[in-house]
Amino acid sequence: MSQNLYQAGVTLLNAMSRHADVIMQVYLSGTLDETATTPQVIDNLKKLGIIWRPEPDAELRLKSTVRNLLENSLHDERNRQIDANIGSALASLKTLAGHYKEALHHGRFTESQGHINDLREHVYSLTDSLGNNVRVLFSRINNEFGYVASIDAKIRENELAQSQVSELLTQIELFRFDELSETAGSNRELRLLLVVTLQQAFSRVTQELSIVQARLLELLGRFREFRGRTRLLKGFVLHQEQHPDFHPPDYSSLSNVPMLFNQANKLMGAAHADVNSIAHETDLQALVGRIKALQRTNTPREERKAGKINVAQQSQAPQVENLLKKAVEDYFCQVIDSGERLTALEFWQQQELDCDPEVWIYRVIDGYQSLPEEEQLYFALDTNGHPHPVYTGNFIVEDVELGLR
Amino acid sequence: MMTEQGRVLEQLLSGTFICQVSDEDGWRYLKNSSQAERMEQQLNILNRTLTHCADGEVFYAAYLTLGEQERKVLGNQFQETAAGLLPLVEWLLLVQQASGNDMPLTQGQAIRLPELQTQIEDTPAFKEQLQKIARYRLFNSTSMEVDGQLKQLFKKLTEIGYLLRPNPEKQIYLATGKVDYLFEVLRFIDETESLSLSEQAEQAAMQGSLL
Repeated sequence: MSQNLYQAGVTLLNAMSRHADVIMQVYLSGTLDETATTPQVIDNLKKLGIIWRPEPDAELRLKSTVRNLLENSLHDERNRQIDANIGSALASLKTLAGHYKEALHHGRFTESQGHINDLREHVYSLTDSLGNNVRVLFSRINNEFGYVASIDAKIRENELAQSQVSELLTQIELFRFDELSETAGSNRELRLLLVVTLQQAFSRVTQELSIVQARLLELLGRFREFRGRTRLLKGFVLHQEQHPDFHPPDYSSLSNVPMLFNQANKLMGAAHADVNSIAHETDLQALVGRIKALQRTNTPREERKAGKINVAQQSQAPQVENLLKKAVEDYFCQVIDSGERLTALEFWQQQELDCDPEVWIYRVIDGYQSLPEEEQLYFALDTNGHPHPVYTGNFIVEDVELGLR
Repeated sequence: MMTEQGRVLEQLLSGTFICQVSDEDGWRYLKNSSQAERMEQQLNILNRTLTHCADGEVFYAAYLTLGEQERKVLGNQFQETAAGLLPLVEWLLLVQQASGNDMPLTQGQAIRLPELQTQIEDTPAFKEQLQKIARYRLFNSTSMEVDGQLKQLFKKLTEIGYLLRPNPEKQIYLATGKVDYLFEVLRFIDETESLSLSEQAEQAAMQGSLL
């Protein structure tokens, strides 16, 4: 017998693995597209009880056991079913315990072994389904019923979950540990299964369920808040559409202004620098250092305008440079020839040079400093000028005087 | 170095709303009742008082006693608030509808501008709605493009404190506690004027589903 059962099971599982894609397709879409597969396959699956036709004209669907298997193993969040039939499970446990004790009493040990194995199977499947139910609830809470879009649908889902929790709790109340422990009597195996294992599962599940319940209530509160807010927004827009001239009365003119409309205006202005504070000295110095000296030229705007650049004239620039360089050389030669001191501006006036006097003085200084060191020793360059009237330590150079040493 | 107390005081006196998103440290500081008490004393000197709304989520400074001058300020403020209500409400609805999760904007929620923009650009109804909102005086956008209108809207909303842009290089905005304040204002008007806005919306929704 058990060999036959084994063979049949293997055939079933093999068929399932062979037609895995068909089964998954039915699982996801709900019904089987009969044109997509051959009639033999459909017949085979129907014979094995994997798919069935609920009504003569209806389409083929997955058997609920197969669907449950998939939902549980895939942790599919669409699984909303809670199997809460604990009463009948407990009754069958008691019956099996009775069989076991009777077999033991009559000394039929092999038979009793079979009964205890059955019993173990039932106890474990009961604890497993309890844990599964809680897990299903949790997975739905954790993504905040993300599988439905609207808030109203979420609220409905939440209400369903709450009713399932309370159903589960009433079912769990059917656990009577005094009765179970009486049934188990002094038998060690039975006590372990009926009292210890079940009690552990029981306490774990009740604890988790109370957490689930609290989370569900919290979520429901939040969803209701969201719904209230959405309605407030929509209602306001609607009201404005129907009464376009609606203006809320000025609540700030009431004798008792609601706090909501009492907002003090801003009071803070910028603080000023305290130049006498030693603690701020470095900061202030850094600030002063960053002030830029503005050098505004008084040249009229007309001349500063962007104009057309005459490329042909560019070659003149080096010529001017050369002229100035030549003039500097002449100036040095004249000083050497005459042996007398001569200021740069005097030479500039003598020769009626065609350049800005300031540029000229810079060129002279430049010419002096670009001489080799031993040649520089022959000349002496003095600066004429006056100290700055306001900022001491600054000297304004007006002219330079060149002479021989 | 300025103390936390000084910093929060400065924020309050500058007319800022302090919430968990805009200034978490300051918000935590004010949540502590003894520290809030101290703050209150300092504000009282300047004829201000520490106020909160939206279940203590948002703090701001209000006038302690109202004289002629203060009433004038509040009157102007109220005109501004009242004028901004409809554009803001329509904007909130647009964001809620376009983001597709049917959740009204709340404090701390993020809006990804590029995502919102694609949603609006792909849906003509949203585009029309946006155009209408952008033309309100509050936002005053002259742009004809979704891009320009949205940018102007978000810029203005950040300026008046409804949104926060934590990273200037990213187009992600966070809603501040001022959004909750706005809901509070709506609720207040609804209750005081007995407009029963929620019921109106519900009835309209029911009629809509019947049609």
